[in-house]
Amino acid sequence: MDTEPHVRKFQKELSAGTVALVLLVVLARATEPMYGYQIAKQLEQGDGALAGKQSALYPVLRNLHAAGLLDSHTEPSVAGPPRRYYRITDLGHRVLADWLATWGDTRDFVENMLKDFRP
Amino acid sequence: MNAPTNANATPRTLDEYLEQVREALAGADPAVIQDALYDAEEHVRSELAEHRNLDEATVIAKVASSYGSPEEVAAIYRDTEVRVTRALRTPPAPTRKSALGTFFGVATDPHTYGALFYMLLALATGIFYFTCAVTGISMSLGFAVLIIGIPFVVLFLLTVRVLSLVDVRIVETMLGVRMPRRPPYTDRSQPILTRIKEMFTDPRTWSTLLYMVLMLPLGIAYFTLAITGLSLSLGFAAGGIAGVLFGVGLVDIDVVGYTPPLWTAPLIAVGGVLLFFVVLHVVRGLGRMHGQIAKNLLVKAG
Repeated sequence: MDTEPHVRKFQKELSAGTVALVLLVVLARATEPMYGYQIAKQLEQGDGALAGKQSALYPVLRNLHAAGLLDSHTEPSVAGPPRRYYRITDLGHRVLADWLATWGDTRDFVENMLKDFRP
Repeated sequence: MNAPTNANATPRTLDEYLEQVREALAGADPAVIQDALYDAEEHVRSELAEHRNLDEATVIAKVASSYGSPEEVAAIYRDTEVRVTRALRTPPAPTRKSALGTFFGVATDPHTYGALFYMLLALATGIFYFTCAVTGISMSLGFAVLIIGIPFVVLFLLTVRVLSLVDVRIVETMLGVRMPRRPPYTDRSQPILTRIKEMFTDPRTWSTLLYMVLMLPLGIAYFTLAITGLSLSLGFAAGGIAGVLFGVGLVDIDVVGYTPPLWTAPLIAVGGVLLFFVVLHVVRGLGRMHGQIAKNLLVKAG
């Protein structure tokens, strides 16, 4: 049996569940507003579920913005296209703290369940 | 899904890439297509600016593997749209099976009140848009013989674009019709004259003008319908009761009040309440219709 489609589906679901958290952390760590391409490049390092197609990031950024967790503005750039910069809001910081707690619990739980398992 | 004709042709330029994304998204909501194309263009142009030493085809090939091939991008936007619509937007009113539930359920749909407010507001926005459009057009024509003619037309069309963006946001918020959340992409690397020319050849500029002119008659109709419907139904609903309690006639002509027989008062009250719900249905329906009008005139078709 080919396991490939199952792996892909699992990756997709994992990434859908965690990408917003990662984006929020990236922006919380940044000292100044970042635009989509910069954020995408930061996520480029590493493998795993989140190293998927970068086009998936933009809709998520937009949704975080719509939900009030991010602020955004466009600026013309010297040598390229206009860029939409994102910055985390106060609400975003508070939500991130809650998300981190949830993530910690979830991770501990999953690790705990997988601990003694040998395939 | 039908495979696009050039699905196998690897895109070599930015335009080809965007064209293939557009094709792969064929049939999706025009608003989703506009957002997807905006994001893709912003990303690819950043990538191109980053790698000035490489030729376009190489960068596009790189993009197809990092950002996603046109088909992958299309799939991601279709997926995300479904998930987000479910997660972030106002929860849709629960669908009711029974005919009664469908009839009265309209009152629990937030879009009904959004549409009602939009209809009341439409008189003001309609007058504003119409005045703006007509003044702008006539002043543009009048100034055409003068040296300030051209800059004036350009400024006027820019204003029209900004107003269209604002209206798109209002329509999505109040009527719940999916509209683009990004402006159409303007390529700032083009010389200013090309961009001005694009503004004139873009059919959306002219359809937006049409929309602004159309908003006056539509606004008057919406406002009148909403006010008449509300006052008539609420008048009936309360009038029956007022007749019983205070002896006020339902219709007063020249101080001579006409009071319907007492036994009809409850019927009139019930009729008024039913009429109120009918009005809500009409309002919600008109809201949806207006959303479609706005989408067709303000958003470029995919």
